[in-house]
Amino acid sequence: MYYQIEKNEITNLLDHWMKLAGVFAPTEKGQFTVFENLMHGDELRINGPHNTRYPPKSLFLPQSERLFTLKNGNLVEPKINNEPRIVFGIRPCDAHALTLLDTVFLTDQYKDPYWQAERERTILVGLGCDEPCASCFCTTVGSGPFETRGLDILFIPLNEKYIIKQVTEKGGSLLTDLRKVPDTIETEIQKLEQKAINSLPIAFETIDIREKLYKLFSDAYWLKVSQSCLGCGVCTFLCPTCYCFDIVDEAQRGERVRNWDTCMFRIYSQEASGHNPRPSRFERTRQRLMHKYAYWLDSINEIGCTGCGRCVRYCPVGLDIRDMIRKAQNWEVVE
Amino acid sequence: MTDNNTNPYKPMPMRISRAYYESNDHSLKTFELDFLGASDCDYFFAHYNPGQFCQLSIFNKGEAPFGVASAAWEGKFVRFTVQKMGTFTQAIHRLKVDDQIGMRGPLGNGFPLDMWRGKNLVIVGGGCAFSTLYALTKHIQHPDFRNDYNELIVIYGARNSGLCMYKQDIQSWYDRDDMQLHQAIDVPENEWLHHVGYVPDVVREVAPSPDNAVAIVCGPPIMTKFTLPALTDLGFAPEAIFTSLEKRMKCGIGKCGRCNIGPAYICKDGPVFSLAELQSLPADI
Amino acid sequence: MSDLELHLRSEVARILQDGSVDLVVGFEAESIPLKPQPTFIEDSKDADRLIINGFCQNNLATFLTRLPKEKRIGIVVRGCESRSINALIVENQHARDKLYLIGVPCHGIIDWRKVEALAGENIISAEENENIVNVHTIRSQFSIDRGDLLHDSCARCLHPNPVSPDIMLGELLPEGDPVLARSVVDEFQLLSSEKRYAFFTQEAERCIRCYACREACPMCYCTECFVDHANPRWTESTISPAGTQAWHIVRAFHQAGRCVSCGACERACPMDIKMTYLTDKLNDDLRRLYGFQVGMDTSTQPPFAAFSLDDKKRFIS
Repeated sequence: MYYQIEKNEITNLLDHWMKLAGVFAPTEKGQFTVFENLMHGDELRINGPHNTRYPPKSLFLPQSERLFTLKNGNLVEPKINNEPRIVFGIRPCDAHALTLLDTVFLTDQYKDPYWQAERERTILVGLGCDEPCASCFCTTVGSGPFETRGLDILFIPLNEKYIIKQVTEKGGSLLTDLRKVPDTIETEIQKLEQKAINSLPIAFETIDIREKLYKLFSDAYWLKVSQSCLGCGVCTFLCPTCYCFDIVDEAQRGERVRNWDTCMFRIYSQEASGHNPRPSRFERTRQRLMHKYAYWLDSINEIGCTGCGRCVRYCPVGLDIRDMIRKAQNWEVVE
Repeated sequence: MTDNNTNPYKPMPMRISRAYYESNDHSLKTFELDFLGASDCDYFFAHYNPGQFCQLSIFNKGEAPFGVASAAWEGKFVRFTVQKMGTFTQAIHRLKVDDQIGMRGPLGNGFPLDMWRGKNLVIVGGGCAFSTLYALTKHIQHPDFRNDYNELIVIYGARNSGLCMYKQDIQSWYDRDDMQLHQAIDVPENEWLHHVGYVPDVVREVAPSPDNAVAIVCGPPIMTKFTLPALTDLGFAPEAIFTSLEKRMKCGIGKCGRCNIGPAYICKDGPVFSLAELQSLPADI
Repeated sequence: MSDLELHLRSEVARILQDGSVDLVVGFEAESIPLKPQPTFIEDSKDADRLIINGFCQNNLATFLTRLPKEKRIGIVVRGCESRSINALIVENQHARDKLYLIGVPCHGIIDWRKVEALAGENIISAEENENIVNVHTIRSQFSIDRGDLLHDSCARCLHPNPVSPDIMLGELLPEGDPVLARSVVDEFQLLSSEKRYAFFTQEAERCIRCYACREACPMCYCTECFVDHANPRWTESTISPAGTQAWHIVRAFHQAGRCVSCGACERACPMDIKMTYLTDKLNDDLRRLYGFQVGMDTSTQPPFAAFSLDDKKRFIS
């Protein structure tokens, strides 16, 4: 089912939706944009930076999240937040990443109640990328500029309008007042999609990447790609598919909290005995790359990267994961 | 875990019913924990299997994983032996009878007992890692389960006789006719009647037969490193050798990402792995 | 390729060939526009990878404490790198005789954020041409005055010239204006304390504790940083105003008398946080109180590592 609105009607639409639920969308913060709870539709900023720097995964897995409060010696859970929420303007790479994270947080054996509550109360309204960036590589890793995985609704910019595609029934609830468009619009959308896809060069070969990385496990290749790495947390914190966290008791506030953590820090795997299975950046860089391009494939047969390009744009030393994987594919293994 | 498993991060409240030092140097202390919630108790024993671990939780000190050292038939309590190493274990050591502590579990896969039916079991343990092997041995010794398995050989080494855990009970195992016990210490002591030497050497000395047998090895990394080749030399295939791994853990349920070896999480896919499984995983330990 | 780069490549090839160094640290071409990458060259044939231009935004001295101390290391140094290296030598982190400093002149580092602010984010390439930077985006081209793109720390840099390098490739540049550098600190001081605190709070609020600032800084080399210390726990790792503000303030204080005002911290930050205003103020305090400037030689002890009977004792008497 397709609908349409004029691009200049978007502010009104968001204001209308705000009567139904909280609306989180990219808004200005200095030179970049960030997902925040809009007070008014005209706070929306989607014509500047292509994507937010800080990833929208923070809306589901906050960087710091209170798990329990200490009350009378017992750990008490916070009340589940059931209030409906609309996330507008999420790019397909980021939404696709959320479906990957679902396979971690919502397993048959253990369902993470905090993640589950945030996912269930949210409708995801995506914004297709008609003009992908130079740092984007979603098509290389099996995603795409108009990918709908994870979305309830997809907004597709087409000339002066947005063509709105309903993806799920849940999404349909927001579109009842909008003008319908006949399905023949699909031809134009496909043309637009193909143009966007064509503008994205294939960044590296993914065939057999898992096997190649395993072959390289002890190879000096890792030394080469980790030498200039500073070992900060920029790539992992801005990454929409990274999910590692630490659990910590904040005694002065009486809270048990979970905070984003990163395999790039030395203390991440430091054991009480003093042993560290990943003592240098060689092992830690290997862990990061192999997690995304080998272990995720082992677990669910999907690459654990959706090509958003944030790690590429914001690495302080200009390390480019696309370059690292290309190097891996071309590296001659020393037998 | 709460009875309907709504929040896997929430510890169950437990009460310490017994607390006693295992060693004269007070580095090892054993605790027995009672459940304060009846449904927690039911949940635990409905899911518990030797080889599993629990996350013990003291607010403001954190959480850490400990192998369960008791068998279900022993009673509606859970036993742990804790070695004093860092901030958290020091805090546990300060706890006394009637103090409360949080517990999340049972976690992990446990020993694959069904796969071992009818087999000869060679249990090899060293130091404080023996706790889950103690649970396993206790389980097997029970008349309801003993006939599920064939011969039972237990090899247990400690640095010195003082550091041996569960001394009284283990002493009584010498009187049993349904198992062989081989204790060892590193250097000779007066009045020590059993083996002297490192566990890998004792394994070679005892030379258990690999026929229809599985070996289970738990110990400090250095002991495991040399025991595995000893078993391989004796003819044990990688599929017939099992071990229990440790790594820094936080959530214990395969979500925080920390304890992985390649695609496997020690907390969820382990901590018990066969050597064959380990050989298919990258050397990330 | 510029004359300077040609000269640099042949010098590096020479010292690797004749075995006077084991390894050279420099920059190589970028994989993404505007971000040349630090590189480590061990074979003289690889010297052709080296580049040096205004987009090279990292302080290479941060890699010195990550390399084995026994290695003889050649390193491309601009003003800030050489001063950081002097500070590291004073702190016994490296021996001067194990280092070969290849001095290059620095006209200031171009801040990629300022380029994107003017040209948008879809940049394909950019090159310097004397005082102009030509930027090509997917839609158009821009020619921007270099002076408008300088990183703030470079715009008020006092010492762009390497201090006592082993070899200097290229001409020395005029020293910076100390009055200009101090005026930035003084202007901030003139704001009311509410305004200053509001600025601090606003900047610190964006922090995501990625520690890129710490890792990019040559003087942050502690094996265990105070934020990682568990017992006692100095600051919380949770994202909260208290924890994050403590991080910024304490790190600034740990830098007092050690920071060379290179600005690598700000350039590394993914959230565009300003932080040099804190360290510049502390460094200025040390200049006024103790006449101390970091990095100008390899022997003068920083004020917090030494005392003299002439020290001001206002806080005691």
